[in-house]
Amino acid sequence: MVAETNESTVAGSSTGNILEARDLSVRFPIVDGPDVYAVRNFNLAVKPGEFVGLMGEPGCGKSTAAMAFLGLVRPPGVIESGQVDFLGNDIFKMEEEAARQMRGRDIGMIVQNPRYSLHPMMRVGDQIANVYRAHNDVSKKDAWNHAIDMLRMVGINDPDRRVKAYAHELSSGMAQRVLIAIALSSTPKLLIADEPTSGLDVTIQAQFLDQMWDSCRQTNSAVVLVTQDLGIVANYCDRVVIMHEGTIVEDADVYTFFKSPQHEYSRRILNLQREAQEAGESVLGKIDRNAAPIVEVKDMSKLFPIRASESKVHAAEHVDFELRPGECLGLVGESGSGKTTIGRCVLRLVEPTQGEIIFRDRNIADIRRNEFRKFRGALQIVFQDPLDSLNPRWTVHQVLSEPLKLHTELSGQAKEDRISELLDLVGLEPSMRFALPREMSAGRQQRASIARAIASNPDFIVLDEPTSALTPETTAEIIRLLMDLSAKLGIAYLFISHDLTTVKYICHRVVVLYLGQIVEVGTKDQVFNRPRHPYSRALLASHLFPDTTNRRVDRAVRETLEGEIPSPITENLPKGCYLYGRCPSQVDKCRDMPQELAVLDDGRSVRCWRVAEGDLPEEPAAH
Amino acid sequence: MNETTNPLGHTPTPEDIDQHVEPHMMIETVPTKRKIDLVRKFKEERLFAFGVTIVALAIFLAFFGPVISPYDPNFATGNVSVSPPNILDWPGLFIDTVFLGAEPPHWFGTDNSGLDIFSRTISAPRTDLQIALIAALLSMAVGTILGLLAGFFKNFLTEILMRTSDLLQAFPVFITAMILVALSGRSTGNIVVALTIVYMPIFIRLTRAEVLGQMPRGYVEAARAVGNSEFAVAFRHVLPNSLVPSLIQLSTTVGFAILLTSGLSFVGAGVRPPTAEWGLMIALGAPQIILGEWWQSIFPGVAISLTIFGFAAVGHGLEEDYR
Repeated sequence: MVAETNESTVAGSSTGNILEARDLSVRFPIVDGPDVYAVRNFNLAVKPGEFVGLMGEPGCGKSTAAMAFLGLVRPPGVIESGQVDFLGNDIFKMEEEAARQMRGRDIGMIVQNPRYSLHPMMRVGDQIANVYRAHNDVSKKDAWNHAIDMLRMVGINDPDRRVKAYAHELSSGMAQRVLIAIALSSTPKLLIADEPTSGLDVTIQAQFLDQMWDSCRQTNSAVVLVTQDLGIVANYCDRVVIMHEGTIVEDADVYTFFKSPQHEYSRRILNLQREAQEAGESVLGKIDRNAAPIVEVKDMSKLFPIRASESKVHAAEHVDFELRPGECLGLVGESGSGKTTIGRCVLRLVEPTQGEIIFRDRNIADIRRNEFRKFRGALQIVFQDPLDSLNPRWTVHQVLSEPLKLHTELSGQAKEDRISELLDLVGLEPSMRFALPREMSAGRQQRASIARAIASNPDFIVLDEPTSALTPETTAEIIRLLMDLSAKLGIAYLFISHDLTTVKYICHRVVVLYLGQIVEVGTKDQVFNRPRHPYSRALLASHLFPDTTNRRVDRAVRETLEGEIPSPITENLPKGCYLYGRCPSQVDKCRDMPQELAVLDDGRSVRCWRVAEGDLPEEPAAH
Repeated sequence: MNETTNPLGHTPTPEDIDQHVEPHMMIETVPTKRKIDLVRKFKEERLFAFGVTIVALAIFLAFFGPVISPYDPNFATGNVSVSPPNILDWPGLFIDTVFLGAEPPHWFGTDNSGLDIFSRTISAPRTDLQIALIAALLSMAVGTILGLLAGFFKNFLTEILMRTSDLLQAFPVFITAMILVALSGRSTGNIVVALTIVYMPIFIRLTRAEVLGQMPRGYVEAARAVGNSEFAVAFRHVLPNSLVPSLIQLSTTVGFAILLTSGLSFVGAGVRPPTAEWGLMIALGAPQIILGEWWQSIFPGVAISLTIFGFAAVGHGLEEDYR
């Protein structure tokens, strides 16, 4: 077996490619309809050590293609034609046993959803050791030690302890790293990663991708990275392959791709992002900096009680910010930083524990809930998941009628006209008027949701991650739409997002949150180009912007944060600075010294005494 | 629902390969018909068709049973304890009766007071179905609203409601219903009320569970954000989305309510004799079985079984479409 593989390695190296897919087609038979070709005439060659990004909209067949490289296909699909040569051997013609040997040893696979991919009742060490022992003739003890080494290599702290952990004891970031440890345990020559970082926070994503990049460069392994994220592709991949409806439509090296995308799909995404940015800038120019703020939040906190416990979840602590008419304020932070809670509190969908919310010179934080309903027409929200936020039994028409009935005097023909106008404003076809949510695409659902929010002519809308459930293309379209609406209607937005790319395109000022506290507030330019707080710096350095001019892998120092965001319950919170323990610039004094938000000379506020006292020199951003 | 499966035992449905077809096969036009095609369902699912037929027959008899019955169901004929004619003679007797105007035979025999069993069996749905349908509908209406309130407003009052409903469910429905009727008196109205009370906890539980599942959904919060009052959120948004389990349960409950109505009559806590009612007929005929007069109890017994089965089959058929 071993000798055979060595021979094949020699044979494979003669072509210079580690993997070659030729004319690959995967067909899915459908009972009541014509067959669907998920992958059609697919040709791809991967060289050793190459990082290939396989991109495309959802449903374009990229995952199916990646699975087919292993000779696998989800039922009821069948591999219709073509061949996949791995080191010169056709995978489809291999004996099943030989193919099984090859998977896991020569080709590693990392899938989405790390928690579900780990066995819930086996220690992670056993899972790594099992895979290692399946392909290598070693003793149990050696395999176990190898597992510890692997965990150390993928950057898990305290591997001797973690090796005995079960899947549920790990955070998703750690679980993902265990998966990469399994995939890399037999030093595969090719690694296939199918959206390995979807659902991870940016700092964890950067840690993980750095790890994968380093490990693969060390062992000269090739990587096929299936993703939808232009940022990942721009920062890590050597080559980009774009799929559309099962076929490859573009195959270019990453620099060429971002400079001059060939295919319409790629061009469209990049164009839409640019247009959204331009629209954002044009709105920015119109804002009256001296106008009275329309919404002002003062010293707002939200503590959630924990059942049968004294401690509380500190979702938001002493938050202050204000918005002027037409302004777009970005609220950014990782999951668990309290950004969603703050958005809900401003609209009193969650009751704030303390603080003032001033809307048009009136404190609306402590009026009765019934009285607050009058203000709902002026204060609106767009939710993250459009399908979930629309009543499944209501047509678009019914959804839009409701705010009109509650907040306007319109009725009869006037109401119908207004609904038509709203549909037109958000770019929904008139034929969608009587569609149910599930009958529309996600983009249309979100448009309907936006139409509902603007129906009552609000002055202020909370956008709670309005694009995180959407594909990059739809995201760009929705962002574009939101900016157009802001320009037309002068609505102020509180834009909550973990996606810094979209925040960068449309927000005028940015608030950075960490563990429920504001750590930095400044204009977009200040925060994105010269962040001062160590957390903002790390967050921005970890974020992968779709831009190849300063790739993360090429940076001399890849700024990142150690560990993960702690859960914000009372006893977990650090006594002094909340970032203590993860901060690259910490000194002993930070541990016990609570931090105050200090205003700097350039107008921004930063919650770090070292920055406030000029102790930390101002450097340009790493990204 | 689709009978064709591939060798892997897996039926490929559009959802399965959704991720492969979504963008270019997305529905671009809005379908005009959203209702379940009952006619097609009737043709394709035999069990459902059978259930529908029985339910339709039961409802037909509830309206026209006493009208089409050959003898007055509550008037003794004088022919005491007549056994039913041999089944082989039925076609001949049928022709004689319908076309030659002969005296109608006692198809199912008569009981020992001389009442015609066939006439009574087809007249009984008027009593049984009336009680069962009204009771089931009432318990669904009240139970669903209480369940909605219990799930939507979780407070001390609704906790008390839930514990009361648990208490009610702790006793067998038959015993509870018997006690209730015994306390309030044997009238049709009281039987309906007793049945409503014993079947209500099922609807409360079902609806509450569904409401609790709907509460974290985004549209509930969205309904608040639009500016609805809490009651409007509960009744306009959450209720319509929590009704399906109760609607499915309704059909089964009607079947069980028929059984309970008959059961109450059987033990003497139901409608008064000589009302034509299946349970009462079984009760009157039961002592005669030992004398060889099997027909007095068997025919109403078969009628009850078929009716319950029919309602259960309809409920089962609908459940498959909604889940």
